[in-house]
Amino acid sequence: MFEFVVRRILWVIPIILVVSSITFLLMHSIPGGPFDAEKALPQAIIDNLNAKYHLDDPLWKQYVDYMWGFMRFDLGPSIAYRSRTVNDILAQQWPVTGLLGLASFGIAVFFGIPLGVISAIKQNSLIDYGSMWISMLGLSIPNMAMGPLLIWIFALKLKWFPVATWGTPIHIVLPAITLGTAYMAMFARMTRASMLQVVREEYIQTARAKGVREIWVMLKHTLRNALIPVTTIAGPAFAGMMTGSMIVERIFAIPGIGKYYVTSVGNRDYPVIMATTLVFALAVVFMNMLVDISYGILDPRIRYN
Amino acid sequence: MFKERKIRKLSERTPKPRSLWRDAWRRLIRNKAAIVGGFIIISLIIIAVGATWIAPYTYTEGRIQDNYLHPNSEHLMGCDFMGRDIMSRIIYGARISLSAAFVGALTSFIIGVVYGLTSGFFGGKVDNVMMRFVDIMFGFPTLILIILLMVYFKSTFSVIEPGTFRGVMSAIDRSMGGMFFIFIGIGITSWLGMARLVRGMVLSVREKEYVEAARAVGAPKTRLLFRHVFPNVLGPAIVAQALQIPGFILYEAFLSFIGLGVNPPTPSWGMMLSEGYVGMRSHFHLVLWPAVAISITLFAFNFLGDGVRDAFDPKQTR
Repeated sequence: MFEFVVRRILWVIPIILVVSSITFLLMHSIPGGPFDAEKALPQAIIDNLNAKYHLDDPLWKQYVDYMWGFMRFDLGPSIAYRSRTVNDILAQQWPVTGLLGLASFGIAVFFGIPLGVISAIKQNSLIDYGSMWISMLGLSIPNMAMGPLLIWIFALKLKWFPVATWGTPIHIVLPAITLGTAYMAMFARMTRASMLQVVREEYIQTARAKGVREIWVMLKHTLRNALIPVTTIAGPAFAGMMTGSMIVERIFAIPGIGKYYVTSVGNRDYPVIMATTLVFALAVVFMNMLVDISYGILDPRIRYN
Repeated sequence: MFKERKIRKLSERTPKPRSLWRDAWRRLIRNKAAIVGGFIIISLIIIAVGATWIAPYTYTEGRIQDNYLHPNSEHLMGCDFMGRDIMSRIIYGARISLSAAFVGALTSFIIGVVYGLTSGFFGGKVDNVMMRFVDIMFGFPTLILIILLMVYFKSTFSVIEPGTFRGVMSAIDRSMGGMFFIFIGIGITSWLGMARLVRGMVLSVREKEYVEAARAVGAPKTRLLFRHVFPNVLGPAIVAQALQIPGFILYEAFLSFIGLGVNPPTPSWGMMLSEGYVGMRSHFHLVLWPAVAISITLFAFNFLGDGVRDAFDPKQTR
């Protein structure tokens, strides 16, 4: 177990190296620079600015310097927002995206899994068909359509929630539903399929033969084993919610990192692009690691090797 | 003589061969939801192909007095912020979404299959290095990579220089309304899963008796690969790729939504949504129709995909 965790953590190093060098090369080969403006600056000023941000150094030196800073959690200054460092920007915007992601994840898990369980228990009933149709609908309406539809119904017509922006808890509701619905549907479908598979295992028959009440057979014996494959999609789902927030943050005017990322690519704000990419990658890797570890806790049959 | 007759009779008596594909097809056409999905997709293809004849107006230009026109008898879905007929733009938009679905799927399919075949067939060190690279790339958030790539393509190849490589690429992209780089972007970012799948299947097919037999009679490596391994990998790979199609439709819509996809005035549903949501308080029809169009399309592909998967995997109960 310990060895497994250490090996997974060491695996982060090549991932970060490859992701950072691809991002670095790609963003520097995009034509144009951070100081391009409508009104062209005199060459002397651009030279001075380049010198200030070390953009006149050879590329490999810029990369090494950046990675050295990254290891010491010093992400450098933002070029587009002269007075702020990238650390400031991340510290301000990650919590927003993180909270949104967490709320959506909560919706997906706390509604998706029970929906799947009920459908599996009442297989081929009206409830089952109904909830599977709703799941399919949730899976098929993309964020960019769901967001405006929810705003129109619940904010503009019913006036239950604010239209957009961020701040109070009530502002989280609509964006979190927008972001979470598709994953709720995924969890529901996965749970249902997995439950139906586990129900036919012999140990379930054994439990029934022992005289365990049906409700406990379902909740304790079946659900616990059925959840193991469901955890596999938790990692990708989390990653999807983090990057999916780019659209949702745009629609709901939320000051999160996803919306900021697209702007920073447009501004050629190199330090911000690097930092966001790496933090996104770290989040994805970390989440996948958590999923792998939780496997072993849920299923003692799995051995780490 | 006698023997031969007996053999023929035996072969006549055996029932028609039941192949995997025929069984899957029979299970598929019994699935009502999949049939509905397939029907919608066929209609969409007809709409996309015949857009020139079906669309009542042009998608490029509108009349200034029709700006934000609400639905009426002349413009059934109303007009957008430039007075363009929304219904015509939705109809032409089917072309964009479907070509992202099929060409995008094809690009990433080719890259993934070639990579997976190479890795699985050569095995050993080559396989190890190639698969570690895939593992690492899985840590790269796809949407971030595709945004960087699209910005790179859009700004590197935005020149008018006939004759040079950049000029030709840019001309191809402009003639396709900005779709060319979307196909490449999808291809580059979404082949990883396919590569893994194909490589895994090659490893198992390689050990099958019929490949062993072919090797024993001295078939050259290339013949083994193309005649015995590849055909047996192809079918499941196509099915797996078909299940990914909703994802490719979403990619195109996502890119066009954030302004890195098609070039205006090419009508993409994603772009129409991003143009519409800002003013939806008073002009909801700008958002409603593209939202409905993209949802119905994804719905159809998801249902058909579900049916196809169930048809090929009879173990899973419904």
